[in-house]
Amino acid sequence: MALFPLVSNFQEDFVLQLLAVDSENTMNEVAAAAAHHSVGRRVAARPGHIMRIRRQGSDKPFPCEMKLQDTGLKPMECIEVVWEAL
Amino acid sequence: MAVLSRMDWYDIARTTNWTPKHVTEDELFPQELSGSFDIRMEQWENYDEPYKQTYNEYVKVQREKDAGAYSVKAALERSKMFETADPGWLSVMKSHYGAIPRAEYSASTAEARMARFGKAPGMRNMATLGMMDEIRHGQIQLFFPHEHCPKDRQFDWAHKAYGTNEWAIIAARHMFDDMMTTRSAVGVALMLTFAFETGFTNMQFLGLAADAAEAGDWTFSNLISSIQTDESRHAQIGAPLVSVLVANGKKAEAQKMVDIGIWRAWKLFSVLTGPVMDYYTPLEHRKQSFKEFMQEWIVTQFERSLLDLGLDTPWYWNQLLEEIDSQHHGMHLGVWYWRPTVWWNPAAGVSPEEREWLEEKYPGWNATWGKNWDVITENLLAGKRELTYPETLPVVCNMCQLPINQTPGPAWKVRDYPLVYKDRTYHFCSEGCKWCFEEEPERYAGHLSLVDRFLAGMIQPMNLEGALKYMELAPGEIGDDAHGYAWVEKFRSAYTKNTA
Repeated sequence: MALFPLVSNFQEDFVLQLLAVDSENTMNEVAAAAAHHSVGRRVAARPGHIMRIRRQGSDKPFPCEMKLQDTGLKPMECIEVVWEAL
Repeated sequence: MAVLSRMDWYDIARTTNWTPKHVTEDELFPQELSGSFDIRMEQWENYDEPYKQTYNEYVKVQREKDAGAYSVKAALERSKMFETADPGWLSVMKSHYGAIPRAEYSASTAEARMARFGKAPGMRNMATLGMMDEIRHGQIQLFFPHEHCPKDRQFDWAHKAYGTNEWAIIAARHMFDDMMTTRSAVGVALMLTFAFETGFTNMQFLGLAADAAEAGDWTFSNLISSIQTDESRHAQIGAPLVSVLVANGKKAEAQKMVDIGIWRAWKLFSVLTGPVMDYYTPLEHRKQSFKEFMQEWIVTQFERSLLDLGLDTPWYWNQLLEEIDSQHHGMHLGVWYWRPTVWWNPAAGVSPEEREWLEEKYPGWNATWGKNWDVITENLLAGKRELTYPETLPVVCNMCQLPINQTPGPAWKVRDYPLVYKDRTYHFCSEGCKWCFEEEPERYAGHLSLVDRFLAGMIQPMNLEGALKYMELAPGEIGDDAHGYAWVEKFRSAYTKNTA
């Protein structure tokens, strides 16, 4: 358990935001934390979609249940949170 | 007694270089302060300032300028401008007064450095007058807003802002300190007078003077027009210097400093001037869009002067041209969303008719920034104002210190431009800001952005309350929507119909 700050870049939002999560959090939990600062605030919710986390510049998202500490991401690295149709 | 005309004696009086005997030339003009690139002394005497004014003439003209500006102020003090002005216009004044006067005062020290350490006698003459200009600009722009302090505490930030760690001021101070207080005489002349003043202050002073006159604020219009007449004179210190540098084989060095200056000035203007021209100024009073102003003053006029002087357009020119279409929309949205963290009340500027204007001036606005504003507007209509306030910090750029933002919506172009330097990761908003850092990393590496300070535990408690305390924003000073959200009601009937 350790505080793990990331830079959140949420699909269709306009700004990078500081995201305070935990190294034990799964990618789904990280996505939910990122959504708290974007979805329903400046980005409309998308029913029928889930959110996936990927490293900036990568096309391949991390597995949904992978823990943050296992991703190889570094503190304050920029993640992209993107919608994926169910 | 017959008096010689100025041009009969000016050149002789200007020839004030001498051969030092008690100290070396390098001791008289240290490299760190002169920045003279080892160009020989006699070459500096080829510097020929285009605007020649004597001290007597200066004093006479400045006295008249001051008399004019102060008379207009005195005559209109009993007017009801403050009470009747659009709240968006008052926000223009507040943001301007907080960001500018003490930076002008700081600029007087930069002018003083050129007045003492410039190797060109003509530069020293012009900078002596420029130094006095900047003292005047600091004083007059602190005095004018002072009358509003009893009515509105946010006007107190005209003096207070520059000494705080409010985020926009960190950004302004970082840029001004970079080009004014920590550069040599040559650096100041290239970055402050040439890049910043020739290129950009027209935006702030001519553009705002026109908008102020349209808005009926004659005091402000007169004041900043008066300042601009000084700026347009002392801004000309840089151009003849570029000619000397190019003639002596130092084009690359000049180009680099000018390029850094232009990029840094652009970023600050995208947050300071863009939002006030396209969002705060009441629609009926807007003379030109920010983009139109940029295209006229920067793309057309300033680009021509760069080429005329033998420089090239900066390597990032296409990037800058793209950004004048987009960057300030995100800066505005960020300032409005994080509005408790500024000392003025941002005007949203996104009522139905204003959105129509934005779409006309910036085709595609509704499909990009408009998408984000749609969600904000719906939340306000649904009574969920709490969702229009932030619960975290935006990540700011380690160069311009401004929120890292680009185009949102389906065209989504937002990204980080990271750089690892000596085991520390820096975040940048653009190739331009990253490049400035890479050119002189040791110059910037030690600075902590607001986010770096937050992560280092320097802001306590680690929430909005702690951030406001750190920025010294007291109750009665923190920003909120300029029009008390009245603009939202214009969407009410369509919203009611859709949700019925």
